[in-house]
Amino acid sequence: MLLETHRADIETILSRYDSRRSAVLPLLYLAQDTYGHLTDAAIREVAAILDLPPTDVFEVVGFYTLFYNRPVGTWVLQVCDDVPCCYLGAEELITALKQSLGIAEEQTTGDGMFTVQRVKCLAACDRAPVLQANLDYVYDVTPERVNTLLDNLRARAAEARQRGVSGRFAEDFEWGPDGALVQIDRAAPYRPRQFPAAPPPAPPPPEPVPEADAGHDRPADRKASPL
Amino acid sequence: MGLSEHIVMRELDVPAINDFEVYRRHGGWEAYRMALKEKNPADIVAMVKESGLRGRGGAGFPTGIKWGFLPKGVYPRYLLCNCDESEPGTFNNHQIIDRNPHQLIEGVALSAFAIECHTAYIYMRGEFAAAAITLERAIAAAYRAGFLGKNILGTGFDLDIYVHRGAGAYICGEETALMESLEGKIGQPRLKPPFPAVAGLYGKPTIINNVETLANVPRIVEKGVAWYRSHGTEKSPGTKCFSLSGHVNRPGNYELPFGVPLRELIESPEYGGGMRGGRPVKIIIPGGASAPWLTHQHLDVPLDYESVAAAGSMLGSGAVIVLDDTVKAPHVAYKMDEFFKHESCGKCTPCREGTHWLVRVLHRIAEEGHAVPEDIPTLHSIYNQMAGNCFCLLGESAVMPIKSALTLFPEEFEAIVAASRGHPHGNGHGDGRRGPVIPLTAKP
Repeated sequence: MLLETHRADIETILSRYDSRRSAVLPLLYLAQDTYGHLTDAAIREVAAILDLPPTDVFEVVGFYTLFYNRPVGTWVLQVCDDVPCCYLGAEELITALKQSLGIAEEQTTGDGMFTVQRVKCLAACDRAPVLQANLDYVYDVTPERVNTLLDNLRARAAEARQRGVSGRFAEDFEWGPDGALVQIDRAAPYRPRQFPAAPPPAPPPPEPVPEADAGHDRPADRKASPL
Repeated sequence: MGLSEHIVMRELDVPAINDFEVYRRHGGWEAYRMALKEKNPADIVAMVKESGLRGRGGAGFPTGIKWGFLPKGVYPRYLLCNCDESEPGTFNNHQIIDRNPHQLIEGVALSAFAIECHTAYIYMRGEFAAAAITLERAIAAAYRAGFLGKNILGTGFDLDIYVHRGAGAYICGEETALMESLEGKIGQPRLKPPFPAVAGLYGKPTIINNVETLANVPRIVEKGVAWYRSHGTEKSPGTKCFSLSGHVNRPGNYELPFGVPLRELIESPEYGGGMRGGRPVKIIIPGGASAPWLTHQHLDVPLDYESVAAAGSMLGSGAVIVLDDTVKAPHVAYKMDEFFKHESCGKCTPCREGTHWLVRVLHRIAEEGHAVPEDIPTLHSIYNQMAGNCFCLLGESAVMPIKSALTLFPEEFEAIVAASRGHPHGNGHGDGRRGPVIPLTAKP
């Protein structure tokens, strides 16, 4: 039970607000990290702590995208596919992830390690293609870096299980000169991204691919349907 | 026309500026200390009013005037800092906090002092998890140093600042939805009036300002109104942190005085460094996803609120997305409206249904390449039914990408119609004729 395991955390959270209900998002994060995802029992438990009707908390869980009411992987990989990311390699990244993991979007691998999702803007357009792994930013994830990234995340699975999927202990990551994933030093000065002197050509635009369908190749002299 | 001195992105090149002591050595927290010891709240409000500081979140509303809307003598008051940055193209709040959290906290503290409030919340989008931790550590350091808490620096002023993480909803950047979310509800906007300054969080007077806006306040107080107004233009004083992204060589945040031409931001080797591969500019979106598009003809437009508005767009949040000729306008409109469809809160029908139908039609056109001549009037009809009929600006914003695409690049839609062999499932007559595939009739 959350009140037994995290009483001090809950008291601190409640003390910040003039209304108990305001604590619903932080408490849901806490419950999500404790139970892995928000089970019905977990949602009712949060409702009980806050003296809220359970339906109000179910409504909140349904509205916000960072609450998972069904099981997710140890690592939830969320790839931004908005403009401009989608023109700077996000689609290629999603394809590479799906191929490496053998799953489709919104699915979890058989070993429960990874869930892949498309998400909307992650506010890191200058570092596209970008994804978040349990809300840790990973910048500049070009398709050829996918396997290095996945290996790194697998090696840190125990850490991820301990920290939970809600990002309450998040860190951000980028790529070192040797091609390894490194945690970003929070104290480092800001530098805008610089592409290599000879930039790679922009990816070709997605050409509209007509669906293979018998209707397209219907002979012109075919008889009109009686309908 | 670079800046000799940065206002918002100051000291970002100083290592460990996120440390309280380092920030303090670079003059940080000094404006706040001086204000508490030597000034009245009304002095700070007057300074911000005279500085002409305008809200950087998108609307560009003068901050001092907003503060002036607070009813006299009604307490408690709340200050909310809006860090729900999640519109495609925007990414400066995140980096301001990542590298220099104290500047924002000082800005929040100073503004709280100015509006006589004792509790401030910084509402961060849920995805800014690491930045929230950075901010919480910096706030803890400020408490330890006695700059926050009870009886600050012996002046009798009390202030608590808390970080509140959202959980993934763009709409919570709308100020009334933000308050709903902070109250523990789903993020659906409230009817205005009453405006937040009169009845906001928990029904109390509330001021909501953007991260970049509040990050300006310490320098205004420290260096004075005249110094601040020496940057930028008469009506848009100060600087703007432009978030430049897309097909440029150096995407990133660049702080420039208002009034710098778009061309300089994109082409100067100090900033954008030109287009990748030297390709031509096709679409410029100067103020985040909700701004009407500009094209290469507008490269000489100065980047300030008035000039961008005169060019038919809006400066908005200063998120400049530049796309080259490899993109197709219908596809850009499709991706943008997919964003708005995903983020529509579902409260009002025109937005909830309109974004859904726009995306359905656009998906077929842009992704599948099937279009019929009726699609173009259908698209016009859908967005016309949305414009002006929504509760908040999200529905209005969703109109901009498709309207811009249809206005600026109609030939691209027509080309898809011409090349299309109709809907793959035909029109039900079995003779291959094209027929209307979306049974949505345009109403006058």
